[in-house]
Amino acid sequence: MSSDSDFTTEPKEYQHDDDGGPQPEKHCGHGRGGMGEEVARKEDKRFITGRGNYVDDIKKPGMLHCEIVRSPHAHARVENIDGSRAMDLDGVVAVLTADDLLEHDLATMPTLMDDTQDVLVNEKVKFQSQEVAAVIAEDRYTAKDGAEKVKVDYEVLDPVVDAAEALEDDAPLIREELDDQEDNHIFDWDTGDKEATEEAFAEADVTVTEQMEYQRLHPAPIETCGAVADWDPGNDKMTVHMTSQAPHAHRTLFSQVSGIPEHKVRIVSPDVGGGFGNKVPIYPGYVVAAAASYVLERPVKWIEERSENIQTTGFARDYDMTGEIAATEDGVIQGVKVDVLANHGAYNAAAQPSKFPAGFFNIFTGSYDIEAAYGSLTGVFTNTAPGGVAYRCSFRVTEAVYLIERMVKVLADELGVDPAEIRRRNFIPSDAFPYESATGWNYDSGDYEKALDKALEMADYESYREEQKRRIEEDADKLLGIGISSFTEIVGAGPGKQCDIAGIEMFDSADLRVNPTGNAVLRVGVQTQGQGHETTFAQIVAEELGMDVDNIVVEHGDTDTEPYGLGTYGSRSTPVAGAAAAVAARKVRDKAKSIAANELEAAEEDIQWDRQSGEFHVAGAPDRSITITEIAAGAYMNHPGSEEPGLEATNYYDPPEMTYPFGSYIVVVEVDRETGEVDFEKFVAVDDCGNRINPMIIEGQIHGGLAQGIGTAMLEHVTYDDNGNVTGGDFMNYLLPTANEIPNFETGHTVTPSPHHPIGAKGVGESPTVGSPPAIVNAVVDAMSHAGVTHVEMPMTPDRVWESLNEAGLALDPSQNVSFDFEGGQSEGPADD
Amino acid sequence: MTDQREITLTVNGTERTIEVEPRRLLVHAIREDLDMTGTHIGCDTGNCGACTVLRDGEPIKSCMMFATQADGSEIMTVEGMEDLPAAGEDLHPLQEGFHKEHGLQCGYCTPGMLMSGKALLDENPDPDEAEIRDAISGNLCRCTGYQNIVSSIEYAAEKLDEQAAADGGVVAEDGDSDGFDCGVENCCGGPSAETPTPHVEGADPQFDDVTEGSESE
Ligand code: FES
Ligand code: FES
Repeated sequence: MSSDSDFTTEPKEYQHDDDGGPQPEKHCGHGRGGMGEEVARKEDKRFITGRGNYVDDIKKPGMLHCEIVRSPHAHARVENIDGSRAMDLDGVVAVLTADDLLEHDLATMPTLMDDTQDVLVNEKVKFQSQEVAAVIAEDRYTAKDGAEKVKVDYEVLDPVVDAAEALEDDAPLIREELDDQEDNHIFDWDTGDKEATEEAFAEADVTVTEQMEYQRLHPAPIETCGAVADWDPGNDKMTVHMTSQAPHAHRTLFSQVSGIPEHKVRIVSPDVGGGFGNKVPIYPGYVVAAAASYVLERPVKWIEERSENIQTTGFARDYDMTGEIAATEDGVIQGVKVDVLANHGAYNAAAQPSKFPAGFFNIFTGSYDIEAAYGSLTGVFTNTAPGGVAYRCSFRVTEAVYLIERMVKVLADELGVDPAEIRRRNFIPSDAFPYESATGWNYDSGDYEKALDKALEMADYESYREEQKRRIEEDADKLLGIGISSFTEIVGAGPGKQCDIAGIEMFDSADLRVNPTGNAVLRVGVQTQGQGHETTFAQIVAEELGMDVDNIVVEHGDTDTEPYGLGTYGSRSTPVAGAAAAVAARKVRDKAKSIAANELEAAEEDIQWDRQSGEFHVAGAPDRSITITEIAAGAYMNHPGSEEPGLEATNYYDPPEMTYPFGSYIVVVEVDRETGEVDFEKFVAVDDCGNRINPMIIEGQIHGGLAQGIGTAMLEHVTYDDNGNVTGGDFMNYLLPTANEIPNFETGHTVTPSPHHPIGAKGVGESPTVGSPPAIVNAVVDAMSHAGVTHVEMPMTPDRVWESLNEAGLALDPSQNVSFDFEGGQSEGPADD
Repeated sequence: MTDQREITLTVNGTERTIEVEPRRLLVHAIREDLDMTGTHIGCDTGNCGACTVLRDGEPIKSCMMFATQADGSEIMTVEGMEDLPAAGEDLHPLQEGFHKEHGLQCGYCTPGMLMSGKALLDENPDPDEAEIRDAISGNLCRCTGYQNIVSSIEYAAEKLDEQAAADGGVVAEDGDSDGFDCGVENCCGGPSAETPTPHVEGADPQFDDVTEGSESE
């Protein structure tokens, strides 16, 4: 960590508009473009002109194509694989099976949870579409033809897809190859103080319970996963261009799997078309492409199709949760309990770099000052795709936030207290920070009431409450529901004491080099998938060195040139690599002072740096000043004897703590009593991510995450039938929201800097995905809570909502208002969704 | 591999002749045979719109059509945007709009969005928000939440309107201004490389079905 003297004092200097007032004017490279400015993105040009360079755009001479043969069964023994008919095809170069990989010791690969996954199935298929063989051919189409001709004989076994059924005594055993594994149970984990919590429940005036499922989702970035592997026998070097959110960690893992020494492995993550956690794990396709390239000594491309992406790569969530709250009759929460059944799929492959088996799920006390908390969780194998990745989420915080924000609404309804008011009664007070939660987290800073107040005001909360009442009284066809979520995130993984990937602590890095002509290159260990790092990281350097943002280039994604870092996910880029960039820039600034002293013929102690002008000057003589450009020239052409030539610095930043962004979202929905359809009337999001680097980019992140939250709450679900067939495994059945389903969002913010972060920033990318689903569900429930509805499961499809309306006696019979002009046309139940 | 057909496409104003298998998808012909990788692929069911191009001025999903079916047609891809007259020396107003209004994040959906946006503005220079949302509803974006994409297209509509006003009247954005213009390069009124072809709207009804079906998702 930095010993930089400005470490804790500087954040406050960046508070541009604490009240969320008007933003500074949009900046397009005419000023310096430091912190808080809406700098238009530097990376845009290549994307809007069709010059992006994604993995599938890469073409290498002699490149072969890889197609994977997948199992149609969810649970089956592979008896025989015959690739001869595929090999007979013109253009098919090889058919690979587990036996071929065994020869090279590449048959299995480690997951991020210390499990071992087959690269190609060795003996037994454990989920539908699992990788069984691979066909390598001269072109894409021939590879597909070949894959169709590979004949695989299976002995089909009974599958189990439901986590609870998988724990039953007579459930089929999925992982018999593991020593000591006699059932499908993976782990039990508990957290908090059980005894104290039981006591709180025993003494409470009121207790409430609700069971809720956080359904299986898929991050589904629009670009699927893929790789181009290129073994260079002349240099014994493996280069893999791949869709990676964590190129360095992948290099280390690749080296471990393949036995190729790490300095002979180069991972390049070029432009990545969205990640959202999907591109954190290693998948068999990457390994097969690399193995094939090694064996055939030619470049090999593997590109996943969408259905392969949804059916086999890291899913998210799939937590079946029961929450309980104990409270006083005034609604002061005294204890919270949660019990979870977690479906991990066929392998324990959660992308989970914290030292806890359920990640940061133990942040489930949320924004509330709760004395007693206890959580227990059981992880289970099933015959479904492996995963449990952090889909735009900091390792299970999404499930935790959903649980607590839903439960607070359940409590409010039980007591008849306004859901905004009940939050106020329980918030961690703003003067209680740093705050240690009942499950041991050390919250850095927060002002939850301020964010809620702001959101209530923006949403015109009171008048919607009146309108809601009016509609109930008038027995209106459309009910109004108002949902709140006042979430706290935990991001910036993370402190080495809490987080690692394969033993490597989760620091991050920045390497800043200022050129003789005064411009600079910043190399970072994180990797953008659309977050705008090439702009925001340049802004940090611009701010810290007084440079123009246009004079800074940010490079990332190539392990041969960038410093080691752990990648981008869990909103960790700004909290960790952003800190590293700031500290590296400050180191350069320190050295710049001695060069300035030399140039200005003054003592180094007398040199001051002025943040406003961005210049260095002699104390008391502001006109004796020098710019960073002039200093850069001095560093190379006239360096002081006391210093090495050059002007550069590197920082590896191990964060002292996580950061805790927060916010309040308010959603107003209209629920149609005839059809169960839900319409968004208003969507207000107030976020606090500490000091803000680029408000435009932050707002873009919020919009995107809210849209994903709507997808979660309303549409998305990876479903299976009892035979283990994926029934929600492509874009026909796994529904991403389109422009027609997404409303306009009203965003606002408060600024509560992180006291331990060099620039006071907290990270923001995931807050909206984490915070919005409970607000949306709370809104839909709120429309019906006067009739006793306490919960609706996600995705809240019209038929589910109509069921709830019907059970509560609120549904209107659609046939009353619909006339059919065809014979025998009769309709019962909800309209078609 | 053996059965190859020769087809001719006019891509962004340049005539290109290639040999393709009859089953080769148009999107693969564009990306791999013509090496124009701005057009992307995001799904296998015609839902995502990352592959959207203009064929004879109409937005189509190029993954839903064989290259041979497009034989003889005019194709416009993102790579052609900067050459449009409305782009002047620099970016087309739509591209500028996406940049200024932060209408893209990872950029993967962007070329398809630009094409759908262009098709909309060619037909309806002053769309309201609902019309814009509808026009891009066959294009999935996982990053932006669409709001800024809508603003980007609104920005372009305004900018194009200003350009037209400055040119002294209603001018089709691609037109070299004599008479009716369908908005397609090398089509009836569009800028022509050499010989203008007759207007071809609706020339291939089978293909119109494909467009409609896939857009309605
Ligand atoms: S690639 Fe998805 S619609 Fe064409
Ligand atoms: S910008 Fe990433 S999918 Fe649209």
